[in-house]
Amino acid sequence: MQFTPQRIDAAFYDRLRQHYTESEIVELGAFIGFNVGYHTFFGTLDFYPMFSPAGELLSQEDSRLIYGDTPGSLLRPEVQAALAARSDRAADTDAAG
Amino acid sequence: MTPVTAIEPLPETEAHQRGLASRIESFAVLGDDTATFVRILARAPAYAEAIWDAMAEALFEGNVDHTLKEIIRIQLANLAGDPYFSALRSRRAIEEGLSEERIQAALGDYRDDPQFSDPEKWALDYAYQMYRTPESVDAEFYERGKELWSEGQIMELGGLIAVHYGMQVFMSTVQHR
Repeated sequence: MQFTPQRIDAAFYDRLRQHYTESEIVELGAFIGFNVGYHTFFGTLDFYPMFSPAGELLSQEDSRLIYGDTPGSLLRPEVQAALAARSDRAADTDAAG
Repeated sequence: MTPVTAIEPLPETEAHQRGLASRIESFAVLGDDTATFVRILARAPAYAEAIWDAMAEALFEGNVDHTLKEIIRIQLANLAGDPYFSALRSRRAIEEGLSEERIQAALGDYRDDPQFSDPEKWALDYAYQMYRTPESVDAEFYERGKELWSEGQIMELGGLIAVHYGMQVFMSTVQHR
């Protein structure tokens, strides 16, 4: 829907009907359209999640370090390395305090 | 206007039974008394309520002129390749003086058209670039926008663009080509 909406034609919908009801197709289509619209908008605003994967409150700077500039898996090495570095800093702060 | 669609709109009586009478009535302000869009979404009635309410709020409320928002809505429908929403016209915008000539001018080379102010040109750029070259909607672009609009107005424009484009892309897939 985002990149090749012209490929979603009558045959595509007929195939969907083999797996989903009309109500479910509308639900999926509206959900996808809504997310195509909003996530592109959000992407231009250059903001990051307020929380780490573990649920800690983050500054935008720390969040950018953890999540990176491009969307991707939270399991990728650079994300795990940023999370580990953050844990180490927190441990050092606790030890110093 | 009743386009041939891959998802059959629910009959109006059935959409009413699903609690959508007021949404069907309010949708007529866009010039489609049959509310095809709402009756398609009526197959998931909670979505029909929430999504049309959000679209209407973005288009008719707030602190940005409605006629400019209507121009942007039509510009986006063209970008999305959606003949249904492209053909609709806000009756309120027409009452407020929006002409077809001005709409067509906005769909053309508005950047060199003196009938559009700098804030209007920025808003039209915002909508055009959002889904054509989103990487160009960067910090510098927003800084320029802040010279022309308040931050609240920019978020109002962004929300309008996002919700209307998203639903227009969905509608573009539903219509038979």
